Amino acid sequence: MRAVEQSTTFDRLPDAIRPVLDNGIPAGMATCSAAGVPNMTVVSQVYYVDTQHVAVSFQFFNKTVRNIRENPRAEVAVHDPFGQVDWILELQFVRSEKEGPIFEAMDIQIEAIASATGMSGIFKLMAADIYRVRSCRRIEYGGRAAEPA
Amino acid sequence: MIPGKIARFVQERANVAGMASRDADLVPHQHRVSGWRLGKDGKTITAYLPALFAEHLLEDLESNGQVALSLEEYPAHETYQFKGVFVRQRAIEAEDRALVAAQRERFVHDMLPLYPEAPVDLIRGFIVEPDLAVEFEVQEIYLQTPGPGAGARLVPPAEK
Repeated sequence: MRAVEQSTTFDRLPDAIRPVLDNGIPAGMATCSAAGVPNMTVVSQVYYVDTQHVAVSFQFFNKTVRNIRENPRAEVAVHDPFGQVDWILELQFVRSEKEGPIFEAMDIQIEAIASATGMSGIFKLMAADIYRVRSCRRIEYGGRAAEPA
Repeated sequence: MIPGKIARFVQERANVAGMASRDADLVPHQHRVSGWRLGKDGKTITAYLPALFAEHLLEDLESNGQVALSLEEYPAHETYQFKGVFVRQRAIEAEDRALVAAQRERFVHDMLPLYPEAPVDLIRGFIVEPDLAVEFEVQEIYLQTPGPGAGARLVPPAEK
C-alpha cells in the first residue's frame, strides 16, 4: 500500500503548486517563539508572489504573528487532497504589507473564503505577510489508502 | 487535567489535527496528524502520525521535548491548541488503527456535505495510515477558534 509514496524537494516554487495555493483549502502553519515554544495554527490563504516568495494571510493579532516577529522561521503545509499531495514550504519572514497589489488581491480572496465558510465579519485581512521560500517539498501520499473502519 | 468539555471535544468532535515541533535552532516543523487519543489520566494526548509527515519530529522531541497539537472541528472552526512536553513514542498498534479508522469516518461524514461531488475514497484517503504514536503531557490549552477570543489561554486559566 506504500507504492505511490514519494517526496521531492525543490529550491523554488514549481508551477504545479499554483493551483494548490488557489484551492481555498486551509493550510497548516508552524512557528516558534524566541523562548522555544512551538505553535501550530491554520491559515486561510497562502498566496503565490513569485517563484521564491509567498504571502500568508495575517487575519488576527495572534501567537503566530508574535512568534514571527521574534523568530522569522516558519513551516507551512498546503494540501491537494484531490491529487493526494501535500506541499511543505520552509519559510523565512521578510516583511508585512498593509496595502498594494498583493494585499488587495488577498483581501478579495479572503472575503470570498469568509463568505463561503460562514466566517464573514470574522475573517478580515490585516496584512499580507511576505515570506521567502527556503525550500519546497512535494509529498505524494496516494499509496497510503485508508483501511476500512 | 484537561477539562471535561474540551475532553469531549477531543474525543467526539475534532476531525482535523496538526502538530508542531522545533529543532535546537528554533526552526519549527509541522506534521500532519491522522488520529489522537486522550490518555486515561486526563493529562496526556497520544497523536498518530504517518512517517511520511513526521520528518524531524523525533529528533526535535528528543532534543527539547516541546510540542503543540492543534485540534479543529471543520467546518465549524472550533479549535483548541494543546501545548506540552514529549513523554514517549512507539509504533502503532491494532487498537490505535481502530481508533484512527473511526476518526477517519467522522472526517468523511463531516467533509462530504462540503465536497458532495468528491469520491468518498479520496476524502477517506486524506487521513493517511499512521506509523507512529507520540504521547505528550498537556501543560497548557489555548482557544484557537477564529474570533476575538482566539489565543486566550484556558488551562491554566489566564490571570485577569
